[in-house]
Amino acid sequence: MHTIVCMKQIIDPEVPPHLFEIDAEEMKQVRGTHPLVISAYDEVAIEVGLQLKEKTDGKVTVITIGGEDTVESLHQALAMGVDQAIRVTDPAFGEADAFGKAQVLAAAIRKVGDYDLVLCGRQAGDVELGLVGPFLAEELDLPCASIIANVEPEDGKVRMQRSVDVGYQVLETATPFLATVTNDESNVPRYASVRGMLAARRAEIPVWSAEDLGLDVRKLGLEAVQIRIDELWIPEREVECELIGGETGAEKAKNLVEYLKQEKLI
Amino acid sequence: MSVLTICAVTNEAVPSSALEALAAARHLADALGGERVQALLTGSSVTEHGASLIERGADEVVVVDHARLETLDGELVLAVVEKAVEEVSPDIVIFPHTDLSGGHVAPRLARRLETGIVTDCTGFEVDDGAIQWVRPVYGGKAMAVMTAGGPIQLATMRSLAFEPMEADASREGDVRELTFDLDGVTVAVPIVDTIVQEEAFEGPSLDRADVIVSGGRGMGEEKNFEQVKELARALDAAVGGSRPAADSGWVPHSHLVGQTGKIVAPQLYIAIGISGAPQHMSGAGSAKTIVAINKDEDAPIFKAAHIGVVDEWENVLPPLIDELKQE
Repeated sequence: MHTIVCMKQIIDPEVPPHLFEIDAEEMKQVRGTHPLVISAYDEVAIEVGLQLKEKTDGKVTVITIGGEDTVESLHQALAMGVDQAIRVTDPAFGEADAFGKAQVLAAAIRKVGDYDLVLCGRQAGDVELGLVGPFLAEELDLPCASIIANVEPEDGKVRMQRSVDVGYQVLETATPFLATVTNDESNVPRYASVRGMLAARRAEIPVWSAEDLGLDVRKLGLEAVQIRIDELWIPEREVECELIGGETGAEKAKNLVEYLKQEKLI
Repeated sequence: MSVLTICAVTNEAVPSSALEALAAARHLADALGGERVQALLTGSSVTEHGASLIERGADEVVVVDHARLETLDGELVLAVVEKAVEEVSPDIVIFPHTDLSGGHVAPRLARRLETGIVTDCTGFEVDDGAIQWVRPVYGGKAMAVMTAGGPIQLATMRSLAFEPMEADASREGDVRELTFDLDGVTVAVPIVDTIVQEEAFEGPSLDRADVIVSGGRGMGEEKNFEQVKELARALDAAVGGSRPAADSGWVPHSHLVGQTGKIVAPQLYIAIGISGAPQHMSGAGSAKTIVAINKDEDAPIFKAAHIGVVDEWENVLPPLIDELKQE
């Protein structure tokens, strides 16, 4: 089976809060010297694609929207075992909202052509709206399975699991389809090997422009609709933490229990 | 202007997330100057819940009751909501931000209707009739005000961001059925099975527990996590875990506390070996009292916790468990 994974590169979300800065004019995080990484759920989607590749003797293509600085993440995807990486780029793409991004990805996926499924992370690790995947399903007019953790081929169809309150649901569909992916024990992303990394650096990564995709950048997104951030701020945390004293762990434990009892918390 | 809110019911009770979304819709309608709130109630044999939605803030309830809606099927709910929006023609639609609504139904509906959507909101501001949606971004490290525009405003509301309204039996409103031929709807991604899993731990469930004990990366390995469970048993508490604990398999993902796991609000939350990443605190931050046990006094958790114990868990947990067992 041929899986296309849509991947977004973001500033490392593990940056600790005290180093996290925003640009209140540009309405986004300040890049600073922080590393760029594959957004976590997209990396999980790559893993799901690679597992499917192994089960079906298939292949995985990864597509990202972005400038030259996304090459590092594309190399990482290739080193994990992805067969083909594609970068689509135009200054207007970066400014597009989720509607516009879904249109760009849809055009790129149509250009790739022959595929069985499209995987997207359930949400990106920056603004976290979780819109591009479901929008893309609508753009491509594909059946959509949301927030699934794995894809099992079965009798010409596929089965997927989605976690619900009581346990999980088993979903079934025929190809082609789109799914948004969440993480569980079965899809922890593999590491890129050193050998894979060396090979990835030699891989050719096609770069497609708006023109290559037949897109008019002035008409990206929806008319009269623009999902945008109007204000961005870092909230103040006002909690005063009372530290429990004691020389030893046992003393601290005793004091904690006393405190909790006094406050009628236990 | 009118506000429609979506209430998908699958078992005997109306889910709290739906009552919270209804409360958000009520507050929004009032902020807009006393607009009407309609609630779409969908499920199988659910009409009896209509009256309780009126009591909790709806002015009218529109019911789509069908045997096929017994399981929570995003495709069917999408078809029903699309139909209801067409019938009711609301200006604003408020969903709970569940996996089903926030991750599937609402975004696809927005694309179909070619209209704006903001997901996972924790609040809103009304300024001269215009609505701005407030939501966390960057894993809770920042907050944003967002707008989307378009003919209908769609928004999904984060769990626990709003409290359900008190039931008020004096409120009046109609409950009416909406005829919709759901038999004719084909589902491209059907649910072929639902596997019910036993609860991984004895004791109360995460959603309802007054006390939750959670462990994180600092527990080091699976066998150490037993101590977290032991403390939970001693306190008759539910067991939770941060993302590293869930990814390592120490707790099942259904016990993950965080932005993409369970959002909880117990009376007491005890976090052990948890650094306090924003993604975790998005899930645990609503707890009334947070106790952190962590060896690193600079860990962000101590900026969110009310009570802190700075020490290795190895030194604190065994005497803490003994102390509580003696009670």
